[in-house]
Amino acid sequence: MSPPPRLSDELDALLRQVAQGDSAAFATVYDLTKTRVYGLVMRVLRDPGYSEETTQEIYLEVWRTASAYDSAKGSALAWLLTIAHRRAVDRVRAEQAGSQRESRYGAATAVPVSAVAQDPVADSAIAGDERRRVVECLDALSEAQRQCIELAYYQGLTYSEVSQRLAANLSTIKSRIRDALRGLRNCLDVA
Amino acid sequence: MTEPTDFELLELATPYGMHAVTDAERAEIDRRVAAAPPAVAAAFHDEVRAVRETMAVVSAATAAEPPAHLRGAILAPIEPVKPTATRQISWRRAIFASAAAAIVVGAAAFGVGVLLRPPAKSTVAEQILAAPDVRTVSRPLANGTATVMFSRDRNAGVLVMNNVPPPSPGTVYQMWLIGANGATSAGTMNTAAVAPSTTATLANLGASMALAFTVEPGTGSRQPTTPILAELPLN
Repeated sequence: MSPPPRLSDELDALLRQVAQGDSAAFATVYDLTKTRVYGLVMRVLRDPGYSEETTQEIYLEVWRTASAYDSAKGSALAWLLTIAHRRAVDRVRAEQAGSQRESRYGAATAVPVSAVAQDPVADSAIAGDERRRVVECLDALSEAQRQCIELAYYQGLTYSEVSQRLAANLSTIKSRIRDALRGLRNCLDVA
Repeated sequence: MTEPTDFELLELATPYGMHAVTDAERAEIDRRVAAAPPAVAAAFHDEVRAVRETMAVVSAATAAEPPAHLRGAILAPIEPVKPTATRQISWRRAIFASAAAAIVVGAAAFGVGVLLRPPAKSTVAEQILAAPDVRTVSRPLANGTATVMFSRDRNAGVLVMNNVPPPSPGTVYQMWLIGANGATSAGTMNTAAVAPSTTATLANLGASMALAFTVEPGTGSRQPTTPILAELPLN
């Protein structure tokens, strides 16, 4: 299962227009992707203010760098969410490193990946179905694999930090992360 | 030939694709991939791509609706400024004609006083948005939101105000750059200048640490005379 093909094709064409400076196309890109981008950023940063700022930076980067998007190298949604995740991770690391370290990032307790607040607006029938399938695939992973996704993807830890946090050696963590991704990829049938 | 170190490099493709490496590790991995045999580099890129496509699908599980005001804050700075005639009346009409009209308030030299002008193209704004070090800070202001995108490299910022109500007649919003030596005016906005979505350019950030807003009587003050309504840190 990839993102709905029509959405991906539409984003492809829109990003080419954005690269030409088309602000109307950019507005449509925002409307089509905002729940994915903001939801991911919010999941990583867990703070509405930081998430709004970071989401603005992400879309500015999309506006500036749309011409760098190459559909031969991946889908438009993956390109956009890669920018989004990278910026969210940079921000969460900067906040953790900063002197005003806030307790919410110090918490060692992991929120289960699938314990996501239901959003009534994003939960149209199709979005709801896709969400259910993803949650099922996350649930199909082992507890240890889910923990790796939680720490390495959603909490912004590096794989070395994950190995320290879980007191497991590096090669164990590397293969656990790889197996977790492979499991998700197969379950979701991503090409 | 695939060397043992190539296997080790390929093992790093998954954490690399998930941004689960430090900046230094990323740079080192990039260097090693560039130097690796083409087949190894191709396998590395395939894995990174698969990770990113997979996590793009997984993002369905975390989808959440952003606050409605974020749309205006994101779109306002990139909206093309509408071409306008030179008469004041015409651009004033343009403000009311379009909620999305971006009116650029240029702070006059030395930040004293204000000059309302509708340039054909806001080049300062474009430069800031294109700056690699661009940062964004948002704070509530009255019932709306003030967002400043700024670049220390460019020594300038773009202010976007969304749904901020106009100041009472006879008063203005005054912007202040707060530095070690106190507040310096960065311009004012009167009732006519505050549209549902207003964009202003801030020149010469200097060593200022924050952008603050007050309501001031008449056409503005030399120093703030009322409490600060909102303060956006510029660091």
